[in-house]
Amino acid sequence: MKKKGTWFVGTAIVLGSAAFLPGIVTVPYYLHLTILALIWVVVAQGQNLIQGYTGYVTIAQGGFMGIGAYSSALLSVKLGWPVWGTLALTPLLTGLLAILVGYPSLRVKGHYFAIVTLAFNMVIYIVLFNYRSLTGGEAGLTDIPRLGDLLSGMIGFSALSSFYYLALLAAVITTGMCWLLINSRVGRNLIAIRQNEALTDGIGIAIWRYKLFAFVASASMAGLGGGLYAHFIGFINPDTFTVGQSLNAILAVIVGGSGTLLGPVVGSFVVVFLPEYLRIADFFRLIVYGLILILATIFMPKGIVFVVGQLLKKMEGIRSDK
Amino acid sequence: MLSEFVQQIINGLTIGGIYSLLALGLTVVYGILGIAHFAHGSIAMLGGYFIFVLLKKVGLPFFGAIAVAMPAGAVLGIFIERWAYRPVQEDSPINAFIIALGLTMVIDGANLLMFGADQVVIPTKYNNVIHLGKVAIVELRLYVILTTVLLILGMTAFINRTSTGMAVRAVAQNRAAAILMGIDVNRIPAIIFAISSALGVAAGAFVGALFAIAPGVGENYVIKGFAVLILGGLGSIPGAVVGGLVIGVSETLAAGFISSSYKDVIAFLVMIFVMLLRPEGLLGKAER
Repeated sequence: MKKKGTWFVGTAIVLGSAAFLPGIVTVPYYLHLTILALIWVVVAQGQNLIQGYTGYVTIAQGGFMGIGAYSSALLSVKLGWPVWGTLALTPLLTGLLAILVGYPSLRVKGHYFAIVTLAFNMVIYIVLFNYRSLTGGEAGLTDIPRLGDLLSGMIGFSALSSFYYLALLAAVITTGMCWLLINSRVGRNLIAIRQNEALTDGIGIAIWRYKLFAFVASASMAGLGGGLYAHFIGFINPDTFTVGQSLNAILAVIVGGSGTLLGPVVGSFVVVFLPEYLRIADFFRLIVYGLILILATIFMPKGIVFVVGQLLKKMEGIRSDK
Repeated sequence: MLSEFVQQIINGLTIGGIYSLLALGLTVVYGILGIAHFAHGSIAMLGGYFIFVLLKKVGLPFFGAIAVAMPAGAVLGIFIERWAYRPVQEDSPINAFIIALGLTMVIDGANLLMFGADQVVIPTKYNNVIHLGKVAIVELRLYVILTTVLLILGMTAFINRTSTGMAVRAVAQNRAAAILMGIDVNRIPAIIFAISSALGVAAGAFVGALFAIAPGVGENYVIKGFAVLILGGLGSIPGAVVGGLVIGVSETLAAGFISSSYKDVIAFLVMIFVMLLRPEGLLGKAER
């Protein structure tokens, strides 16, 4: 009971301070990064669902972000549909595609699955790049309606702050939904598949249905993240939705803590802020980022959340000794 | 029409040979150590750059430079295995994959720092064109195919005929039993990475001489390499060869007769299609 209480208080404190963040952070650039990190939370929670809980590492999250971003941008720019509507459609459209991708991909396991999804990401990228008449090719799409401006007129904050609240809402809702899901029967079945797929199959659970569900749900979240990104930046091109982006989603999950609800949240902030801070190192940025990654994997393979948890436990131990 | 078809097949076999060479390096690492060695493409590119420097600054001939660079690549491979992969060998496989991603960034960053962002083509003097009827083959392509065949045969012979090769196969089959037989199992990963990286360097040289080396190219090739691996069957050496040729030929045929911008899509679709019919790959053994 006590533990639940601490969790509740902790969440309340974090959300409470998050609500006032635009007032505290006066440099727009940092608020901009925070918004990107919050969008990443949506994407990384999806990745965590399939990678952390179900045990299937997909390398397609970047491609699905692209599907979300392009579908919402195209529907609103070319057909003039209301932005709220197109944004709401992104998880559905991405989910539909994910069913088509997931059905064949999930016939295989482990590294096979990872590489097949990676191939799908390449296919998505190549189509975005080459289908010029629709996607604008390398130059991408410009003048996508920005939700920040729209929101700003409705709630009176600046465009940046308004979008911040939208991204925060999206991140909180996705994380909350993952929490509900993981604590439901479906979530327990997903975890069972990760722990022992053959046994789960053996006791009569239709594992392919659950795996497909996890894959589609994770892709939908990536699609929503992509849609948010498009209407935040106002410009998209294929380079944002490469395999590299999918790898970033994997990193966010691993660095934060795979198979934990908090891990993707922490990891998202790391993958957005760390490269920015390393800009000081300029030329060495890529090398330093890579080295940090290697060292982090060797010395804290279970992620930041696990390490901090251990530290907190130790501190509690010291306190109760007194 | 027919001559163009034959021409495309020959081009496909050349590029397919390079894919096979890359996939071979990946498949020994995967088959024996279970590591998805994503940094392999970056190592190949580093090798290509190194050979370019040996050619330009030291003045070595093309194949002489390859002969110098391959052992250097082997040393790099041993170093990477010891300091990056070995610390996580007991952890879940995904951690080794993350290490591979980190290595990719480090090596790509080093490439960028040392050789700049401009695209590099390794110059060779084998530019004569050999005509066979209407089909034209650049001399260099013939040598590339020949060297690739020799390297593949050499590696197969090493794995199948030597006692070290036997030790490698023993560890792949049953690690515990191999330890009981007195095999130094810590030496095996080093050998594997030495071979794999040396082959990668050779592949990088061919990519640099036939096409070009530039930042980001390594990733494209390693992804192709993995596609070949999946197609042929993970861990299978003949599979890597067959898979490489299938992907190479279908890619050039697609580029020649359908659309050059979608050639990669077609290569991946071939892979996905094969996966659906034979999840264990063309020449893989069914696990389970």
